[in-house]
Amino acid sequence: MGEILLSEAIKIIEKKTIPSEATMIIGLPDVGLVGLIATSYIISELNLEEIAYMESDLLPPVVVLHNGLPHAPLRMYGNQNLIAVISELAVPAPAIYKIMWEIVNWAKEKKVKRIVSMGGIPLENRQTIKEPEVFGAASKQKLLDMLKKSGMKTMNEGYIVGAQALSMRYSLSKNVSAIAILAQSFYNYPDPQAAAIALKELSKISDIKVDVTKLLERGEEIRLKARDIMKRTQQEMNRMQKSQEYDLPLYV
Amino acid sequence: MSEKPKKLSTFDSMEEYLQEIEALANELMESAFPEGPSWNTESCCLNALSNVFITPREVIVTADLPNVEVETVKVEVIDENRIEIIAKMKKKVSFSDLGVCHRNGEFSSLRCQGRVHVGINSEKMKISYKEGILEVRFPRKNPHEIE
Repeated sequence: MGEILLSEAIKIIEKKTIPSEATMIIGLPDVGLVGLIATSYIISELNLEEIAYMESDLLPPVVVLHNGLPHAPLRMYGNQNLIAVISELAVPAPAIYKIMWEIVNWAKEKKVKRIVSMGGIPLENRQTIKEPEVFGAASKQKLLDMLKKSGMKTMNEGYIVGAQALSMRYSLSKNVSAIAILAQSFYNYPDPQAAAIALKELSKISDIKVDVTKLLERGEEIRLKARDIMKRTQQEMNRMQKSQEYDLPLYV
Repeated sequence: MSEKPKKLSTFDSMEEYLQEIEALANELMESAFPEGPSWNTESCCLNALSNVFITPREVIVTADLPNVEVETVKVEVIDENRIEIIAKMKKKVSFSDLGVCHRNGEFSSLRCQGRVHVGINSEKMKISYKEGILEVRFPRKNPHEIE
């Protein structure tokens, strides 16, 4: 009953056959736009096709034009073994629960092998760090062990807020395998370098391999282009109390 | 219909009331001053993202300044609580460079303004630029000093 109510205002419209047993990468706008930059780069480098999009009155009445044609801001791309979810608009904080619920629900329905949520961990003195570090988190001990075995540092204690937090929570309740790959990044400045480093780590734990050279070369251009979405994302991050990621958890 | 929970005390009601006023004020401000674009074709400037941090001893202003010539960065204290940062870009950027072809305009600089609500000593500001981020540190004026 609760599930039906939650899903009422959201529909995922499928345009192509959705692969089953695929890995689902989620890159919604968040800290440093790390997830969005990384996932968009995967889409363009692997030439993924648009396979589905989200229709919801919880999202602003926006359409994005690319090459003159309209696209829903929140959409899914894919090939035979990969589904990539991006949003070209900052997801309104009050809608994030229902949207993430629907995405995880859809992932379960499509029998995805694993959800990988890409994002950033805000670092106050990010500009003083040459090479940001990447930390992983997982919904199951087995996955956490796999991350450690691949050499990835894991986030042992701390808070995750927003889309990654909900993808983890809902995956847990729906028994879907989920991982979060989080790179140290600027809080509210677009961070293509952090995205590139997150992608390098992703390649170690999956068969998604992309050369990040072009992403790094285009870093300054991306930072200029991403100013508007970063600004709007910051407003939503403030609403969802994203700064709680700086807090220390208490578990005695 | 669910029953409305009873208020615990007068303080709860006051807090609720103040929250409502705050929300209303925010709503009014947002509708009265809609956000403008992040660019200005007249001054040929793109707005840079910036932050202001106030610590007990310092005010730290940062700005994301990609693609700029470092030697052209200017930091100006406009008045007591406004700081402007402007820098020339290495090469001009047009709307078409940003993928937009239904607008015309070219931009040669990045600019931002930050508001500071405490006294600062602008003569002792320290500037650094790393990884495309400008950081300006101002010592705070002693808040207990009577001028």
